[in-house]
Amino acid sequence: MAEIVFGSNTMQLLIALILVSTFMILGSTRLYSCVRAFGIQSFLLACVAGIVAYSTGKNDIYIIAVLTLLFKSIVIPYFLIYIIREIKVKKEIDLYVKISPSLIIGGGLVVISYYLIRSINVISELSSFALSASMSLVSIGLFIMISRKKAIMQMIGILIMENGLFLGAISLTYGMPLLVELGIFFDVLIAVLIMGILIFRINRTFESVDTSILKNLIG
Amino acid sequence: MIEYLLLSPIITGILCYFTRSRKQVETISILGSTITLILGLTLVLDVYRNGIIVTWQNALFADAFSAYIVLIVSIISFVSSIYSIGYMGYEIDHNVIDLKRLKMYYVLFHFFVFTMLLVGVTNNLGLWIAIEMTTLVSALLIIFYSNKASVEAAWKYVIISTVGITFALFGTILTYYAAVKILGETGNALNWTSLIAVAGQFDPMIMKLAFIFILIGYGTKAGLAPMHTWLPDAYSESPTPVGALLSGTLVNCAMYGIIRFYSIATKSTGTEFTSNLLIIFGLLSLGIAVPFIILQEDYKRLLAYSSVEHMGIIALGIGFGGVYGIFGAILHMFNHAMTKSLMFFSAGNVLLKHGTKEIEKVSGIVKTMPVTGAILLIGGLAITGSPPFGIFISEFTILSAGFFQGHIIASVLFLLFIIMIFAGFFYNLSKMTFGNPKPGVTPGEVSRWTLGAMMILVVFVIVLGVYIPQDFIQMIHNVVKVVM
Repeated sequence: MAEIVFGSNTMQLLIALILVSTFMILGSTRLYSCVRAFGIQSFLLACVAGIVAYSTGKNDIYIIAVLTLLFKSIVIPYFLIYIIREIKVKKEIDLYVKISPSLIIGGGLVVISYYLIRSINVISELSSFALSASMSLVSIGLFIMISRKKAIMQMIGILIMENGLFLGAISLTYGMPLLVELGIFFDVLIAVLIMGILIFRINRTFESVDTSILKNLIG
Repeated sequence: MIEYLLLSPIITGILCYFTRSRKQVETISILGSTITLILGLTLVLDVYRNGIIVTWQNALFADAFSAYIVLIVSIISFVSSIYSIGYMGYEIDHNVIDLKRLKMYYVLFHFFVFTMLLVGVTNNLGLWIAIEMTTLVSALLIIFYSNKASVEAAWKYVIISTVGITFALFGTILTYYAAVKILGETGNALNWTSLIAVAGQFDPMIMKLAFIFILIGYGTKAGLAPMHTWLPDAYSESPTPVGALLSGTLVNCAMYGIIRFYSIATKSTGTEFTSNLLIIFGLLSLGIAVPFIILQEDYKRLLAYSSVEHMGIIALGIGFGGVYGIFGAILHMFNHAMTKSLMFFSAGNVLLKHGTKEIEKVSGIVKTMPVTGAILLIGGLAITGSPPFGIFISEFTILSAGFFQGHIIASVLFLLFIIMIFAGFFYNLSKMTFGNPKPGVTPGEVSRWTLGAMMILVVFVIVLGVYIPQDFIQMIHNVVKVVM
């Protein structure tokens, strides 16, 4: 069954598009377009979940797909935009690593992920395609977190990593049991909320959301 | 049974929100944590007598190991809530915080206790959800004072822990994948009992990958080096009773996650792979703690690095393996929780009196606060592993297991590191306790509540060094059976 689901051309296209959306975030210096690209990525992810649900006929995955659509591609992006508006942050992102090296590193991470996943033994060629995409998302998310100075970009980095894991779970096992999946969803939502609160606090105490100033506690 | 245990701190937290005065919120907090303690102890006894308990559609579960975690969490949270009354009361008397903040503190405090109890009693790999919840609630406690340092500490804590925990989720997904291949796609594929039963047939390659991700992920929460960087900040900036909860229980909860996966992974990969990883991370944690303890300028951070050290020791104990190694590690979890909380409590008293966390600016505690000073010395001796205290026994057990299992180099390094840490720790501690008191510090203790809480812990620290009750040994042996 795994072959049928992940062999379909639509599926491959969607996964490729998810990677493209990740590179949109990596290659952009504007906060709004990063948030928008994240929304698109989550929407594509919901489509992947929807197709898996349709071809396996499992109702649990439909619920997950709808939740992803609702929260990750609508609620969370709006919340991020709300934060950006409220704290009147400068719309450009400050970077530790410039855009073009970032893109090259991102490409390198994708290649490494593909080789890593090829070396372990998974069900089929095509679900290993999805799994290596998920691995790329995790590593690029991590790279975005360490190479961008804005606190909001670190939030987006974590969310990309989470999306990557979601793709991995869907492609390996058709998702975890519903109860666990819902729990993870709940945790992600609360995490976003709490990071939002923290960003407001950082802005109030330091009058900036540039995380490069957070370096007083050392040793 | 388990449901009531989990409900108790939640209801206490909610009730705390609706109180109207300081007296009310304190009474409810104490009553609530007493009930939690009683329910926790009942659960522990029940498991000890009757074995595994499973309820609520298999989602909640308690075996000997869960019960052990529940025991640690309920004792420390009870003592911490007593200490909170003295500590937060002092701050409210001196207008550091107001009633609204005090209420918020108790609400979050009890929710935090709930999440840690949930870590112990959740069945299946949903453990991840519970551990992530502990991060989120405790972040709000770390940011409690809302000053620059605490905001920075909380942000680092949330970001680093969330990334770590994301890796742990990947490990969890891989484990589930390995299980689904054997068990088929049933909800049972995530239960501890059914996982353990078939763990031997898992694909070793996948389990190796899963264990690495789990170790990095939960290791971040447990404060194993080099993922420990959030830990000193969080410990030193949070309110002291919360620091005690973080260092005494939260790290143990994360260790619990690692050990659970260790016992699943070893069934298919063999002990060598997992043991070596644990020994490497354990030694690294010990080694990194050494310079930071010797050159430390902040006494709360000193205690935090000591926690990194002790998590390293527990990882070493599990890594050395064998009945003695694991026995020592499990016993060490309890001893460390008691002793480290005691140290945090005395450090908290010192902080309230002196208003600074710098070691240089504190001296002569024995003269100004005789009881706190004495306890600080006892705790200091105990935490650095000198006889006749509990930690000495567990460290010695782990060390002898190391030699016995043939890990000679690791054991020698372990011995060397703890000797250096002993010297460094005592050098700093003696600067604080002895000498002439700083001018402007009024003699006298902070409050009777804080001393009462410390007395309870002193009993554990001293008694477990001299005599371990037979039932307690049997309990730990039951845990060892679960792990091995």
